[in-house]
Amino acid sequence: MRRPSHEWFFLIPITVFLGLFIFYPLSQVVMRSFTDNLTGDFTLQNYINAFSQKRYIGSLKNTLWFAGACTLVGAVGGTFVGLLASRMSPRVRGLLLSLYSLPMTLSSLVVAFAFIVLLGRNGVFNIILNRYLGLPKFDLYSWHGLVVTYSFYNIPLMTLTMASVFLNLDRSLIEAARNLGARAWQVWIYVIIPVLAPGFIAGISIVLAGMLAAFGTALALTGMAKSLLSLQIYSHASESNYNIPQASALAVILIIVIVFSLLVLNWIERKLKPGGER
Amino acid sequence: MRRQAVLSVLQKAILVLLILYIVLPLLVPLIFSFSTLWMDILPEGFTVRWYLKIFNRHKYYQGLITSLLIAISAVAVDAFICVPAAYAINRLRGRAGGLLRSAFKIFPLIFPPIVVGTGFVQAFNRPPLSWSGSLMLAVFAHATLGFPFMFRNVLAAFQTIDERTLSEAAASLGANLWQRFGYVIIPNVIPGILAGSLLVFAISMGEFEVTSMIAGFGWRTMPLLLYRSLIDDIRAASAISGILIATSIVAFVGMTLVSARVGAGKLRATERT
Repeated sequence: MRRPSHEWFFLIPITVFLGLFIFYPLSQVVMRSFTDNLTGDFTLQNYINAFSQKRYIGSLKNTLWFAGACTLVGAVGGTFVGLLASRMSPRVRGLLLSLYSLPMTLSSLVVAFAFIVLLGRNGVFNIILNRYLGLPKFDLYSWHGLVVTYSFYNIPLMTLTMASVFLNLDRSLIEAARNLGARAWQVWIYVIIPVLAPGFIAGISIVLAGMLAAFGTALALTGMAKSLLSLQIYSHASESNYNIPQASALAVILIIVIVFSLLVLNWIERKLKPGGER
Repeated sequence: MRRQAVLSVLQKAILVLLILYIVLPLLVPLIFSFSTLWMDILPEGFTVRWYLKIFNRHKYYQGLITSLLIAISAVAVDAFICVPAAYAINRLRGRAGGLLRSAFKIFPLIFPPIVVGTGFVQAFNRPPLSWSGSLMLAVFAHATLGFPFMFRNVLAAFQTIDERTLSEAAASLGANLWQRFGYVIIPNVIPGILAGSLLVFAISMGEFEVTSMIAGFGWRTMPLLLYRSLIDDIRAASAISGILIATSIVAFVGMTLVSARVGAGKLRATERT
């Protein structure tokens, strides 16, 4: 029974798979990012381009702003809905949360289509806004239009996380703190926030990482009009603007940006943990 | 009394709004796809013409078959790699297990679709592995995007059962490793495999980002056809969206049923002891 573990043998398929489809492609991306598009010689030009050419710097800035705005909206909306959901009866909550897990698998193009019908130039909501309320039409094909559309992914994602976080919040902990004479703000800072922080940070990590790299819905709605880092990579890696080494360098930068943001969030989480500050 | 009544109405109103937020964007493409005309606030006429068009036109019909083929194959690949991996990692208690578990959680975050696509475009378009444009490459791409979901569900299923005790009991009755797998372990974690399969299937059916980067000239999936039709044929777009929304809903209803059955089973098990 206790022969030196056969467990490792069962890890062979996934190891081969990860090696072939994650590490091998990733190593190719890193290697190609240091080569010249035409000659194939070693060069740092692709990285120099990324930090000197206006369109790449602009796209990096846009990506950071866009992902930040999406994360903010998702965090606020998801926390709000999650809090409401945690106070519902289990049956209603179950229904609501399974509904909110639907967008996760929905094709980015279906979401784009749905929002065109709802909020596009002749979308249902825009007709109502314009004709009956006399308000200006909502512009779906703008930055805030993209943020609203992507919120359809982010708010539900955050809701699922926050609902379980709020459900796990032990009320007796709060009561104990109040009984010991803590003021409301002290309860928030020393009890509630440290308990909520790990789940909250895990939720916004997923949203932020996803939004830094998102491009499907944006491509379907605005084409290449809104310059995001991910769209630059896409256009260089597929036919229209073929330059694989440049796409690779931008992809490496994108990975570094994602890893860096995750590390920052992780650091914040450790600071917020009970006993973490001081 | 009055205040309570107002509060309860307010609560119901908020609940309706929360439900509409998800339901409206799903419902609107469906209504669109069944209406003859929708130029104003309300749609006009009922028709299945747009769906018939899709099933009759070779291009769309072929796309549906291709999508199904890729999705089913991706599910099979993910099950093949994730079930053994979850079995092993569930057993590896110490550091290695914990490390692998958190690694699988972080992978999809730092390796998003745009990076998977960029990597695939380069790694598989020249020797030693020149698979570019093949259906097989799409299967592996979808399996790469989907495996964290399969893995998470199967591992969760392993954690609800005491696999070691079950296996030892079976072994003491003379079952070898493969018999234990076939008769004891797999039947016990099948809800996790099913839930993971439905999730991977739904994700694969709707996948556009990576597919569009690696697509060959010989085949198109539903989302690729949807992308083209968003520009030139909004009616076909609505019907394809309808099919994809239905796929997601069916997958989720299936998952809810699976988890409800598992929950019921667990309840019965605790009652008996």
